[in-house]
Amino acid sequence: MDPAKLASLEGLLQEIQDSNPTGHHAALPLADLKRLHFGSMVIFKDPDGNYDPTLVFENNFDGELDDYLEDLLERAAAGLHQIYSHCFDYRATGSQDREEILAFLHAHIVRPNAYHIGNVGRGVARIKQEEEMMDGIEAFLDGFAREGLEGVSPGSLRNSIQRFVESKPEWAWARQAQKRMTFAERLIPWVKLIGVGLLVLILLPLLLPFLTIYVIALRWREITDRSEIPSPEQGQIQRLARREDHIVQNHMASLCYVKPGRFRRATLRGVLWLANLVARVSYNGKLSGLDSLHFAHWVLIDNGRRLLFLTNYDGSWENYLDDFIDKAALGLTGIWSNTMDFPRTSFLVFGGARDAARFKAIARRTQAYTNVWFSAYPKLTVQGVDKNSTIREDLFRSLCETATMNWLRRF
Amino acid sequence: MVKLHRGDIQGIIFSAYSHLACASYLLLRIEDAAATRRWLTGIADKITTADGKEEVFSINLALTYCGLRKLGLNEATLNTFPIAFREGVASQNRSRILGDTNNSAPLAWDWGGDPDSIHILLLVYGKNEKALNEQLEQRKAELADSSGTVLVKELSAGRQPDSKEHFGFADGIGQPVIEGNERHEKKQRARTGHATVVKAGEFILGHVNEYGIPTTSPTVDAAYDPRRLLPRYEVPLDLRFADQSMAKDLRDLGFNGSYLVFRQLAQNVAGFWRFLDAATHGALGQSDPVARERLGAKFVGRWPSGAPLVLSPDRDNVAYKDENNFGYTATDRDGLACPIGSHIRRCNPRDSRDDDPQKSLQSVRRHRLMRRGRSYGHRISDNLVEDNVERGLHFICINADIERQFEFVQQTWINNTVFGGLRGETDPIVGNQDAGTCDGMMTVPGDPVRTRISNLRCFVMVKGGAYFFLPSINGLRYLGTLGS
Repeated sequence: MDPAKLASLEGLLQEIQDSNPTGHHAALPLADLKRLHFGSMVIFKDPDGNYDPTLVFENNFDGELDDYLEDLLERAAAGLHQIYSHCFDYRATGSQDREEILAFLHAHIVRPNAYHIGNVGRGVARIKQEEEMMDGIEAFLDGFAREGLEGVSPGSLRNSIQRFVESKPEWAWARQAQKRMTFAERLIPWVKLIGVGLLVLILLPLLLPFLTIYVIALRWREITDRSEIPSPEQGQIQRLARREDHIVQNHMASLCYVKPGRFRRATLRGVLWLANLVARVSYNGKLSGLDSLHFAHWVLIDNGRRLLFLTNYDGSWENYLDDFIDKAALGLTGIWSNTMDFPRTSFLVFGGARDAARFKAIARRTQAYTNVWFSAYPKLTVQGVDKNSTIREDLFRSLCETATMNWLRRF
Repeated sequence: MVKLHRGDIQGIIFSAYSHLACASYLLLRIEDAAATRRWLTGIADKITTADGKEEVFSINLALTYCGLRKLGLNEATLNTFPIAFREGVASQNRSRILGDTNNSAPLAWDWGGDPDSIHILLLVYGKNEKALNEQLEQRKAELADSSGTVLVKELSAGRQPDSKEHFGFADGIGQPVIEGNERHEKKQRARTGHATVVKAGEFILGHVNEYGIPTTSPTVDAAYDPRRLLPRYEVPLDLRFADQSMAKDLRDLGFNGSYLVFRQLAQNVAGFWRFLDAATHGALGQSDPVARERLGAKFVGRWPSGAPLVLSPDRDNVAYKDENNFGYTATDRDGLACPIGSHIRRCNPRDSRDDDPQKSLQSVRRHRLMRRGRSYGHRISDNLVEDNVERGLHFICINADIERQFEFVQQTWINNTVFGGLRGETDPIVGNQDAGTCDGMMTVPGDPVRTRISNLRCFVMVKGGAYFFLPSINGLRYLGTLGS
């Protein structure tokens, strides 16, 4: 974007963010976009001055891109026009100039090199419907409990719940809602991952010499790479922290310099490609044991010179980073060790993030203030969405006695 | 295993001084920094250390961020302290993290709401009232005479008839053991059947923590330590922050020290028991003492004797009092015995934080607190009758990383409305029931289905608090020499 217009855009985005309730600003009513799970707008300012400020508009949406863009333009053209007027190469003359806005959007879309989705196969509408139904059943159970639960058998209680749900015409969908994923959708990512594994095994004898050279080159860089992390800066951290922990989820947007040279750029591309293969088979709500990620994107921009990371996660920032370190240290070190000043590593994936204090310091340093952020379901965690889904999916299935008891224990 | 130089470490890190029945906490404000520094130099030799046991009394001392500044510690050094400590417990960010809103908001606190009003905390313990008073008189005379400080507040934690807190439940059972402290480990094992041994760096700065590296410690440029009172900063070069490794020679101000969190928590005992009473009324509105106590136990996770619900789900059993050798995953995954949202399960999820019990235990070890709190105020005579007397807990805990330990437990476990898959509830005992995403509820799992207790109120309110730096003896001596 045009650095001369920075203050103006920051002001505009602040105004959009401050709309009450969140997401209902007249020019950019993100809450009206029925396919949008999480959306954000972030202005990244380059501390080193090598790049102009970069505006990132993050959209985690259901369905096809074209349908989504159509909806977006239908409802938010005015806001988009106002916002993108602060950017270079933007030529639309007004918010009615839809074609030009669309062309601008298309020209600037970047797809993630790697991404993760916590609740695969459930759109915004489904997630909200299931939550609503869950609230209804919980209240029904509260009433039931007031009457006394003594002597009520699990089977008859489950029957009562079923009858209660059937009595509500607005929950008619609950019986025939489609599956999260088809068999093929589950199978294909595994075939790809295993295929790649086998291919590497077969080619190993051929690859070995190259691999040896690669490892030596890597170790050399790991010993000599700069790792200069200044102590965390209080003002910056306070500004970021003030934005956090208002709902059960939080947003984190960060932009790092990839270490200079082709070696690191190629390594990072490779690692992200591999991470994406792994993420595709992680469709049960967890990525490497991390169960709090709604969405995560890793994107290489500026010809691989900068790494953009966007994520919508549950719980506090402190908890998120501790979780990352405890459960996914290898993966996260594998990715970020290719970026500037990351704590020292060995063999790409070891060390690094284990140095918790400095890892957190660099995470905060590269994190940008999220100017606009919207969540379609601010009270739900990834696990909460999953819990609602499993309860609903098993609601009309025939269950044996033990399964009925276990099903009731999920409430 | 590390060899700790105990003579340099303040005794409160290693001991709860349970043999010293009475305690008083003096909150001081510095008026004349030069006089305070002289007084600090003098008292450094009188501080109780972890070396040996004081039979009659103990004294420990800690300072707030504002206190360190007032003493004359330079800006560069102050900036090496962690942000949580610098901001102080009463700051807006900390309040949001800790859930100190509404009636617990710092604006309404009796003390500590203004961070610059408290500079020094003097913790005085005595084996009985006489020993405590003797010590207090001596200390206070000395303070008034030559310390350059004003006594802002004296908080007294009088003798209590037993180790129960005011709600009536045994407290302070589970306590981590610092690696290498074999005496404590033995004692803990004998008393509770279990000991969680944690790396020294979780509670003492300058030592290796549960991540296998030393916890970040505040440092002083060698130029500011001409008498070489402080040890060299020994953190490996590649683990230092860039701005620190630029300086050639750094001294470790935090070495053998720690951080102390102090929160005065008022307990509404009659409110608590009357709430439980109303929630367990029989069909005709009559009280049901058995159901009332059982619901209280469900809130806490232990029975009044301390017997854990996991081991004794249906009734209190003194055979299990103080028992701490249990987990959740194998025996009580769904919380049918000990509710997922109960106080002890939130404060220490043990093996239930993760699908893998071992991983869970490992990650929980990174968030442990050394609790040193004591009750204050008289016991209520009838749990169900409001007597309008203030009573509660002077909550004190020791940790090497306030954010990763105390604040984490408070935010991610106690006040987390979606903890363990729950929705819209916080800790029923100490949680903030007024938070935006909290519905004031408590789910008690059961068969055929859970019951939900609603309209929970805050039965514990924060009345004051501060974050303190608990220096080593050497560190204290160094602070006494500032400016000279």
